[in-house]
Amino acid sequence: MRIIVPIKQVPETNTVKMDENTGTIIRDGVESIINPLDLYAIEIAIQLRQQHGGEVIAISMGPPKAVTALREAIAMGCDSAVLLSDKAFAGADTWATSYVLAKAIERMGSYDMVICGERATDGDTGQVGPGIASFLDLPVASYIGKVEQVDKKSCRLHRLVENGHEVLDVELPAVLTMVKEVADPRLPTLGGKQRAKKIDIPVWTANDIEADLDKLGLTGSPTRVVRIFRPKVVRQCEKITAMDDSIVDQAVDKLVVFLQKKDFI
Amino acid sequence: MSTTEKNYNPVTNQIIDELKEIVGEKYIIYGDEEKLEAFSHDEVAEVAYSHMPEVVIRPSTAKEIAAIMKLANRENIPVTPRGAGSGLSGGAVPIYGGIVLSVDRMNKIIEIDRDNMMITVEPGVVTNEINEYIKDDGLFYAGYPMSLETCYIGGNVAENAGGGKAIKYGVTGRYVTGMEVVTPTGEIVQFGGKLVKDVTGYNLIQLMVGSEGTLGIFTKIILKLIPLPKSSVDLLCLFKTAEDAIAAVPKIMTTGGIIPTAIEFMDKTSVQAACEYLNESIPYQKAGAMLLITVDGASVEQVEQEYEAIGQLCLDGGAIEVYVADNFTTSERIWKVRRNIAEAFKVVSPHQSLEDIVVPIAAIPEMVLGLQELSERYNCSIPCYGHAGDGNLHATPVMNPEWSLEKWRKTLPDILLNMYKLTAKLGGAISGEHGIGHKRKKELSMFVSQDYLNMIRAIKFALDPQNVLNPGKIFDA
Repeated sequence: MRIIVPIKQVPETNTVKMDENTGTIIRDGVESIINPLDLYAIEIAIQLRQQHGGEVIAISMGPPKAVTALREAIAMGCDSAVLLSDKAFAGADTWATSYVLAKAIERMGSYDMVICGERATDGDTGQVGPGIASFLDLPVASYIGKVEQVDKKSCRLHRLVENGHEVLDVELPAVLTMVKEVADPRLPTLGGKQRAKKIDIPVWTANDIEADLDKLGLTGSPTRVVRIFRPKVVRQCEKITAMDDSIVDQAVDKLVVFLQKKDFI
Repeated sequence: MSTTEKNYNPVTNQIIDELKEIVGEKYIIYGDEEKLEAFSHDEVAEVAYSHMPEVVIRPSTAKEIAAIMKLANRENIPVTPRGAGSGLSGGAVPIYGGIVLSVDRMNKIIEIDRDNMMITVEPGVVTNEINEYIKDDGLFYAGYPMSLETCYIGGNVAENAGGGKAIKYGVTGRYVTGMEVVTPTGEIVQFGGKLVKDVTGYNLIQLMVGSEGTLGIFTKIILKLIPLPKSSVDLLCLFKTAEDAIAAVPKIMTTGGIIPTAIEFMDKTSVQAACEYLNESIPYQKAGAMLLITVDGASVEQVEQEYEAIGQLCLDGGAIEVYVADNFTTSERIWKVRRNIAEAFKVVSPHQSLEDIVVPIAAIPEMVLGLQELSERYNCSIPCYGHAGDGNLHATPVMNPEWSLEKWRKTLPDILLNMYKLTAKLGGAISGEHGIGHKRKKELSMFVSQDYLNMIRAIKFALDPQNVLNPGKIFDA
């Protein structure tokens, strides 16, 4: 079983600061971690390898420093990793990101599964997993909470839906996106850390994956972020006070009128 | 003299009026049982250790405190100083009623002196806020206890609080270089300053540090700061047995030549309860004990080198597995296990006795074994966890849920007596960081000589001849 796990490096939410003027995240000096929801994808991939043999390869598109996320994935138990890094990739939206990841996966030869996290905690779209599937023309199953009956050709999946779960039989290869219920992520071990430090992580550029340059980065992105802002919450508060018993009735009357006006009573 | 202690005068309306004169009417609480109740206890859960104050007063200056102390001496009324009330020995409980003096309004950071790496604060500053405040300057206050979010620096100094990082950074007292104190008789005195060295006369600063509010009320505290460590990594090491875990501790420092920032020990009972409580999936069932080790330093490379060396030593010493957390999210996950032990046992029973014994580190295995034996003999869980690096263990008898409260109240003193006897036999002390307060004063004599007690009494009465400042704490006068 050969499993590819695309992961994303995101800012550690505890240390995130926003630039008040531009409304964007200040990324300088902010600790970066593996997108917490990708940890579930990594965990189930490792468990499947433990059960069925094979290998787990983590890939990530990002700046050179995203290599730390890949090393962490190896420390958890992934076998190898590839970093997709090129100035041409910068500013990619979910469409352009899915394209690059799909091209890289194509280059990796045969595989049985592509396992993604449900979404990234920074962009929060959940589009890249299904996006990869559409570029690769593969079946996709999102929001998977349980994986069972895996064999060479297919697997049975429990897909989380609003009122329960669907049981799907999916042909392999396929792209799956995982939710938290699927497994508890393991902690990186000392042995894993030491292996991750030494391992060579190849860096692939646009050339290496034979990507169409027009489809990359900001140029290749059909979406534009026009403005990011924090919605203002306006609360109009009316305070009705009754300092002593004599005016309590008055205050209650006022409150009743107020609530009637608002159609609450 | 214990009879005179019981003969304090009540707080009359006339005295209330005078107190109002001093601090203003807004800052006095009296006659409202519900509001006063909050000041009748600290974090010691047992009701037996609480006592209602007659009045709570919230001054904002040293002058106001001095006036209150003068009045207390004149009228023979006890005054109990209080910080955040997060203490664990009853130190802030007004056991003879009278006045509780809360420093909560004195919460200003007075000055940050970057050139001298010193900060001057009022006693009501939340300790955690100090580090928030100086973080961007690359500075760090290291005398930092575990209750992080709530405790005040004034309480930390009064208790000489320690916490998890004592092995590398020492305890609160190491960082106090100066203070302004209102004496029990109502004088305002300055001690020390921003000096790294100072041998002018007796070291009264260190006499005040850890005096549990019995010798003076701090109104300004000057603290030494250090450069903020740039990198920090936590290791969670699973061992088959408590003996293996403890044996690794001195080896890290001797063979490894590394002083970690923290070495926390958790026995099997503690680990199991916390992991089950948190639904944590690490393979804790296999572990007879765990060590949580933190390493910090000036560079990522240095920290990496040190944690690898420590991890290897643990594996060589029989650790089943060593997990590495080098980012906030993962660190939180493993520290959560340590922090939730007490909470986890509250599910078993709310009736527990959090102890604070400290033994020489080489005696920890014997102590842990002794506690297991006690636990079996009394059929009562005694989870044992704490700061293995400095020998400070929070052994905590938890009431067997099948017992009646009556049985618990009868049995607990026996368990504690045996625990203290063993502690004393191993060269230990009754409190590492929580203080004696009034919770442990009866047992103090098991650990110190009569001559020692005479000396601390002499000091107390030299400074507080009328015994009005926090009477009945540490020892009975």
